[in-house]
Amino acid sequence: MDDNPGLSEQYRTASPWPLFVALGIPVSEIGLLFDLFPIAVGGLVLFCGSIAGMIDEVGYVEAPWRPLGALAVLCLAVGAVLFVAVSQPTRGAAVIVAGALLLTGGVAGRLFVRDDAVPV
Amino acid sequence: MEITEQIALTVLMGLFLVGIAAWLARVENWRTYSPVGGGATGGEAAYGSEEKPSGLIRWLTTVDHKDIGMLYGAFAIFAFVAGGLMVIVMRAELMDPGMTLISNTFYNSLLTSHGITMLFLFATPIIGAFANYFIPLLIGADDMAFPRINAIAFWLLPPGALLIWAGFLPIPEVIPAQTGWTMYTPLSAGVGSGNQANAGVDLMLLGLHLTGVSATMGAINFVATIFTERGENVSWANLDIFSWTMLTQSGLIIFAFPLLGSAIVMLLLDRNLGTAFFVNGGSPILWQHLFWFFGHPEVYIIVLPPMGLVSLILPRFSGRRLFGFKFVVYSTLAIGVLSFGVWAHHMFATGIDPRLRASFMAISLAIAIPSAVKTFNWITTMWNGRLRLTAPMLFSIGFVQNFIIGGVTGVFLASIPIDLLLHDTYYVVGHFHYIVMGAITFAGMAGLYYWFPLFTGRMYQRRLAKIHFWLWLVGSNVTFLAMVLLGYGGMPRRYATYLPQFATLHQIASLGAFVMLAGGLVWTYNFVVSWLEGPHVEDADPWNLKENGLRTNEWAWFEQKRETAITDGGEESETVTDGGEKVTDEE
Ligand code: HEM
Ligand SMILES: [Cu+2]
Repeated sequence: MDDNPGLSEQYRTASPWPLFVALGIPVSEIGLLFDLFPIAVGGLVLFCGSIAGMIDEVGYVEAPWRPLGALAVLCLAVGAVLFVAVSQPTRGAAVIVAGALLLTGGVAGRLFVRDDAVPV
Repeated sequence: MEITEQIALTVLMGLFLVGIAAWLARVENWRTYSPVGGGATGGEAAYGSEEKPSGLIRWLTTVDHKDIGMLYGAFAIFAFVAGGLMVIVMRAELMDPGMTLISNTFYNSLLTSHGITMLFLFATPIIGAFANYFIPLLIGADDMAFPRINAIAFWLLPPGALLIWAGFLPIPEVIPAQTGWTMYTPLSAGVGSGNQANAGVDLMLLGLHLTGVSATMGAINFVATIFTERGENVSWANLDIFSWTMLTQSGLIIFAFPLLGSAIVMLLLDRNLGTAFFVNGGSPILWQHLFWFFGHPEVYIIVLPPMGLVSLILPRFSGRRLFGFKFVVYSTLAIGVLSFGVWAHHMFATGIDPRLRASFMAISLAIAIPSAVKTFNWITTMWNGRLRLTAPMLFSIGFVQNFIIGGVTGVFLASIPIDLLLHDTYYVVGHFHYIVMGAITFAGMAGLYYWFPLFTGRMYQRRLAKIHFWLWLVGSNVTFLAMVLLGYGGMPRRYATYLPQFATLHQIASLGAFVMLAGGLVWTYNFVVSWLEGPHVEDADPWNLKENGLRTNEWAWFEQKRETAITDGGEESETVTDGGEKVTDEE
């Protein structure tokens, strides 16, 4: 991703991520509110995954795995609070599982994906 | 839930995510290699769109402020048509006193949805459309400060709309909300013997929450853009009036919408997790405070930018600059500040402390002053001007007329003794419709007609535009004046049925609504046909603004764009000379 903001002709005028960040929010909200486990997990994975993808695309990081891991840890923490402190075990579990999936993804990406992208 | 259902949901969700991942992989691939150029029509391809993909994918992935502006516009107009058709059904039902066409509960559902649709899915997004397209052009910025956040803010709206309308979709056991747009507790908390504990209300609240998140993201973006992305020759001193109103509006959004969001979350918790904010021992009046602390600023959130549009457009057809520009800016800022100190004027009849009431009355009366300052400035701008009664100008003048009636009726409501008589009657409905329809929507139309040549490259049919204006001006005044009179007679708002003595005025109000429907049809026809096959604009200054030295940056951008399009081998070579010659005029 080697775009050069500042020069209008070279502004990147397209990105696939915003659509999915936006979609992830309602899906996870519905899942959590109505206590629908798979929907909540899927929505959170979509939301956090897209954010990580977007951070990577903008060039703040070299690969999306680190932000993915950070978001995963955040999910695990929030899930734990829901599970223990607010006594919402099913909702908490959904957030924890989403965090675990994201963490797996982050670690796997870090270990197994060959970084052959052109450096910025 | 049954275990098989769980498994089915899990599988569906998994497939959904895998599908998205596959699609993303494809799109990312396409992006790193060779983007397919120019999905746009002729002219647009020339302006920095080398990297735009083609077709539908362009619109799904765009982060270009002009494209996002167009998306906002399309969405807002779709919502406007939906909300308008809802109200046509309601006005048809109100043609006679009894329950004839639709059931009372369906009437209540339409009423709720009409209000929320118009405020959150039409008014706020149509402002977003103008602002996204034109603020960067007006202030000489390359794009918005955060283009991706901009796209996220837009894409939150379609799911938000789906959730808000979910009750009307054929989903088993989900019914539409019937809470009114103000969602007063305890009704909206779903307690008692009513049917508002239904999931349809939860979905509507979630949808509203999403549109709030969207508005907040947009507002942060506009503040950042106006502060940091201005071009070299745009200073605070010569910042245009529309940008000033957007800046103030964004400030209001940043303070008001998060509050609505929190209040909605509290309500959802009350409904689903048994908390006790508003019911179960909580205070139902707390909801009204929280709601109106957001709600009153919200009315200024949707009126300030339209005021900015009128302040921008009106002088262009009066042949002179805006009278008292500075005072228009100051009054905008004053309204922005004062609007947070008046919320309890919606609660005069709830039995709150009379001393509190009096202070809210004082500030509500005070807010009429900056509003009047603006009105006098618009009138003085036109005074002795060389008026050109084009469609955008007519709609701007219509705005001023309707705003005066809407504002003056508001001042009366701000007076406690009068409000105690008129609260919850059709008078209030008349008051705010003079403003939301008569002023805000008129200003939106002024903007759409004014920039139609710029975003389509074509001209609309003037005659039809004028027919549209007159149908709307007459229709809105017939309808809303009848409502004001109904209120004087004591007709309460939000009822599908009424006493026979109100029949005549209700029929007149419905008549006006049908006249507006006719105007709306003319408008739709005009826009669709002109967009597809209207005459191409002859030069880059269709309103001859240069003659009076009134051209603003977006038209300069338009000229530049047309010139690049033509060097690229675009159509119509004579337009260059036509536009080019005028440059010798005063700048
Ligand atoms: C001149 C300044 C204004 C004053 C003093 C004023 C005053 C009031 C008052 C006192 C009420 C409460 C009436 C009641 O329910 O008993 C009210 C209602 C309302 N006003 Fe205004 N108003 C003003 C301008 C506006 C503007 C500019 C807008 C819209 C952009 C607006 C939109 C509304 C709405 C939507 C309601 C009804 C809320 C509901 O559903 O109950 N007002 N106004
Ligand atoms: Cu108010």
